Amino acid sequence: MKHSELTFQAIVEATPNAIILVNKEGKIAYANHQTEKLFGFSKIELISQTVEILIPSRYHKHHPHLRNHFFTEPETRAMGSGRELFAMRKDKSEFPVEVGLNPLTTIDGTMVLISIIDITARKKAEERFKLVVESAPNAMILANKDGEITLINAQTEKLFGYHRNELIGNQLEILIPKQFGENHPHLRESYFHSPSVRSMGAGRELFALRKDGTQFPVEIGLNPIETDQETVVLASIIDITERKKHEVLIALESKNKELEQFNYIASHDLQEPLRTVSNYIQILEEDFSDKLDPEAKNHLQTISRATVRMSMLVRTLLEFSRLGKNNKLVSVDCNEVVKNVVSDLNSLIKTSGTVLIIEHLPVIQAYETEFMQLFLNLINNAIKFRKKDTQPEIKIGCSLNSKGHHEFYVSDNGKGIEEHHFDRIFQIFQRLNTDQEAEGYGIGLANCKKIVEMHGGKIWVESAPGIGSTFRFTVETI
Amino acid sequence: MLIDDNRDDNFFHKRVILKSAAAQSIVIKESGEEAITHLKTSQHNQPNNHPDLIFLDINMPRMNGWEFIEEYKKLDKDFQKKMIIIMLTTSDNPDDKALASKEEVLAEIRTKPLTKEMLDEVISRYCSLPGEE
Repeated sequence: MKHSELTFQAIVEATPNAIILVNKEGKIAYANHQTEKLFGFSKIELISQTVEILIPSRYHKHHPHLRNHFFTEPETRAMGSGRELFAMRKDKSEFPVEVGLNPLTTIDGTMVLISIIDITARKKAEERFKLVVESAPNAMILANKDGEITLINAQTEKLFGYHRNELIGNQLEILIPKQFGENHPHLRESYFHSPSVRSMGAGRELFALRKDGTQFPVEIGLNPIETDQETVVLASIIDITERKKHEVLIALESKNKELEQFNYIASHDLQEPLRTVSNYIQILEEDFSDKLDPEAKNHLQTISRATVRMSMLVRTLLEFSRLGKNNKLVSVDCNEVVKNVVSDLNSLIKTSGTVLIIEHLPVIQAYETEFMQLFLNLINNAIKFRKKDTQPEIKIGCSLNSKGHHEFYVSDNGKGIEEHHFDRIFQIFQRLNTDQEAEGYGIGLANCKKIVEMHGGKIWVESAPGIGSTFRFTVETI
Repeated sequence: MLIDDNRDDNFFHKRVILKSAAAQSIVIKESGEEAITHLKTSQHNQPNNHPDLIFLDINMPRMNGWEFIEEYKKLDKDFQKKMIIIMLTTSDNPDDKALASKEEVLAEIRTKPLTKEMLDEVISRYCSLPGEE
């Protein structure tokens, strides 16, 4: 044996990998001890055999062709370029491998030195990793430096509405709304430049894009993972829609508080000059009566009326803002509520000759004072907007609607409302009647709407001019 | 005594009191501090010279009505007993009413403006012999 051959042999035997030497015809010229161990063949059994003896039979058809191709352009490279490779032992069992090819020029022509690594353990670790990712409660996406998605879990499918086949191999940017996605490849590059465990976006609000085109707010954590070949990034994505909603709610609450405070200050501070105006009109009327002619007195009365009206408007605004403040839900017997309201309105009911037909009403959880005000407003309106020359008749009742919620109605045979006013009547300070017809500040139904909404319900009207109106509202508190 | 930073209100209220001939004299103080200083001085110098009725505004700069009450409570208890305090408020804020009902030194809380009827009612309720004290 030549010296160089001995050196070669010594090196090959000492490496921890299985190494075989194969000639142009695919025949094994040499195999080291690791190969024997890995494949279960002895050297003698291998030498002079074609290399296909180590390859599962399903690859036999194509392998000679690939082998020949290698010898036309011999270069040092990994085999399979991305495909999963399997080797076969003497006992026909298969195992995953990574194969390196190195062309070798010898006196016998070009040969190839093949290094084979058993990657069973690594594959198992990968499987375990996939299992962990799969069972994670968050959506998790593994992507490489080029932004290609290599792995996703079931949560990702659920969150984004894609099947995993649609995502794997695709660009990450498919999951990012267009307006944010353009800059993403650049950001991704800079991340891989100095990968670290961190959250994405650094304070910016992040949004993700579902298959159906809808967007949702997300929080994303990034974890770089070193693999044998490259650094990849594992992104953990949490849908924060609910949290955002909650944040909005909290912001809204504080806005409401502010508004309440504003309302109080405004109405308090607005009342003061108004009171001064009306006080001093009184002084003029009382102390300077003999010096004022009837026309001047008339003007003073106009000023006085306007002041009173302004004062009432400010007061109702304040009351509106105070609705439901500091109150608790209690068990309320609606029969009692209506009874109390009817007794409050007793004189109006008598003078107007109103007939009330009240069905048996349920006991519900409600804000008692407000609920009473609700009925007071509705019954009062029903009497106020009665038809001339017709005895007012008001029916009150309650039933369960299709959702199982209580649905109340207050029905009258009054003037009725035209359909195009149906929404407007529930807005604050909206009146359909001029002063002469009915006094009011346009607050009653706005209050009703607010009260019903406090109870998680809706209020609406069914009405026809000249026939009457039915106000219906639901209560969803349990 | 009228305690109110609003001169227009003071003028109007004074006029109502004068018209009802309900008081021998009317002291007007435009801040809580001035009023409490005035009361402290009377307590010290002429304990029999004190207002029978005090109409107190809530919203005043620096020392508001509530803060005045706190200072008032530090006066001599017997001296306090000689006076009736009626709080006057601009808005009929239920919070103020709730607070007022808990405050023992406050007789009541009323909504501005002070009227002849209100004055008559207050006097008949709290001052058994008006004009003779």
